[in-house]
Amino acid sequence: MFAILYVVFVKFFKWGGDIPHYAVYLLTGTVMWNFFMESTNQGIHAIVMRGDLLRKISFPKYIVVVSATLTAVINVLINLVVIIIFALINGVTPSLSWLLVPLSILELYVLSLGIAFLLGAINVKYRDISSIWEVFTQALFYAVPIIYPISMVAATSQKAAKILLLNPIAQSIQDIRYNLVTDQTITAWNYIHREWICIIPIILVVVVTFLAALYFRKKSKFFAEEV
Amino acid sequence: MKRPFIDRELINDENNENAIVVKNLYKSFMLPTEKSWGLKQAIFNRLRGIKGYHNQEVLKDISFAVKRGEFVGIVGRNGSGKSTLLKTLAGIYCPEKGAITINGNLVPFIELGVGFNPELTGRENVYLNGAMLGFSNAEMDQMYDEIWEFAELRDFQDQKLKNYSSGMQVRLAFSIAIRAKGDILLLDEVLAVGDAAFQQKCNDFFASLHGKQTVILVTHSMAAVEKFCDRAILIDGGKIALDGSPKKVAKAYNKLWG
Repeated sequence: MFAILYVVFVKFFKWGGDIPHYAVYLLTGTVMWNFFMESTNQGIHAIVMRGDLLRKISFPKYIVVVSATLTAVINVLINLVVIIIFALINGVTPSLSWLLVPLSILELYVLSLGIAFLLGAINVKYRDISSIWEVFTQALFYAVPIIYPISMVAATSQKAAKILLLNPIAQSIQDIRYNLVTDQTITAWNYIHREWICIIPIILVVVVTFLAALYFRKKSKFFAEEV
Repeated sequence: MKRPFIDRELINDENNENAIVVKNLYKSFMLPTEKSWGLKQAIFNRLRGIKGYHNQEVLKDISFAVKRGEFVGIVGRNGSGKSTLLKTLAGIYCPEKGAITINGNLVPFIELGVGFNPELTGRENVYLNGAMLGFSNAEMDQMYDEIWEFAELRDFQDQKLKNYSSGMQVRLAFSIAIRAKGDILLLDEVLAVGDAAFQQKCNDFFASLHGKQTVILVTHSMAAVEKFCDRAILIDGGKIALDGSPKKVAKAYNKLWG
């Protein structure tokens, strides 16, 4: 998958010409996106898949969702090691800013946990929500600057680029790239100059996860009979 | 759809002589009338103005109290609400109306061997099952030897569960069930498993529980009710039809449907 992306977009399209280490940049983006996809999908199906257990014993239901999404976290941490090896081979100089990467991964994880709580709870009753989410993420994939550098969007419309960066997924992926690969990356912090706007993605993550957790808690009492 | 807040209270009061108090318990389920039930169907049903489910009242105004150390049998026909009652007591279902008070540590066994993983060894499965029932590793360490002793499967404890025969699996699961150190034991159709010798052992064990442990047993075996229980409750159509001595209840059960 990554090899095809690399050949098509880097070698043929010559995208990302001005960004150093574009291969690592691209790899980081796809790995983080896959992490988001994996954790939300696992989390959404978790409750239904563990239905047999829920019907037999009583325990805090959120454990099921958290344990399902933690698999994705372990995967992304392994992938992170691969990215770092790849980056070193590619000639990226290690820096202290690498230590900030887990923070952005945490942000991404909290967001996917929130989505998993919300959609997982809905999925118990309305089983087609997982298919809807699949289609939705396919659309979302193109709204997040993963396979294209955001500078291409910025060249056409600065406003559009700024709006894209307000998406928590885009914001955290760009942050990871900035801290890990190259400081040539456009992030919400260095592109949007008003600070209060910059924290919108983080507020979004907190609010979504908080509301989703509340909804999950309210609905979890009925999981055993509806699943 | 109106669903009031649950009332399931857990207390731990040594001086309170009641182990379980159930007051005016109601429970109903929404059974879908459609084949598939998704967001799409929900929207269609809304447009067509039909509900897509019907309300099945399972428990209607159940009230009873169980004293500490009492061995209570719950009997009734299939679908009369016995298991629903047990699951509501266990906290798996939440009551729709009414209140439940549980005094002490409750260990439910709705089914034997919940969450047994065939790829893990017997030893790991015992700890896994214990964790699911809410016991810490330290508590399981204490029970561990007793469990294997009762199951008489010590030679197999490091074998994977998939290599156990099905009889051995239920023996292990059963041993966990009865060796679990809970104040209240809920058992659903779990009585005697395995070969004749092991069944005898189980029966002896249940007889020895008399007056020491609070047990709620759901069963269809009137012989077991008369043998072990101090008291029996007959449930019919979601209501308590009779609550009294095991003999009386067994007689009523046999007369009604025997």
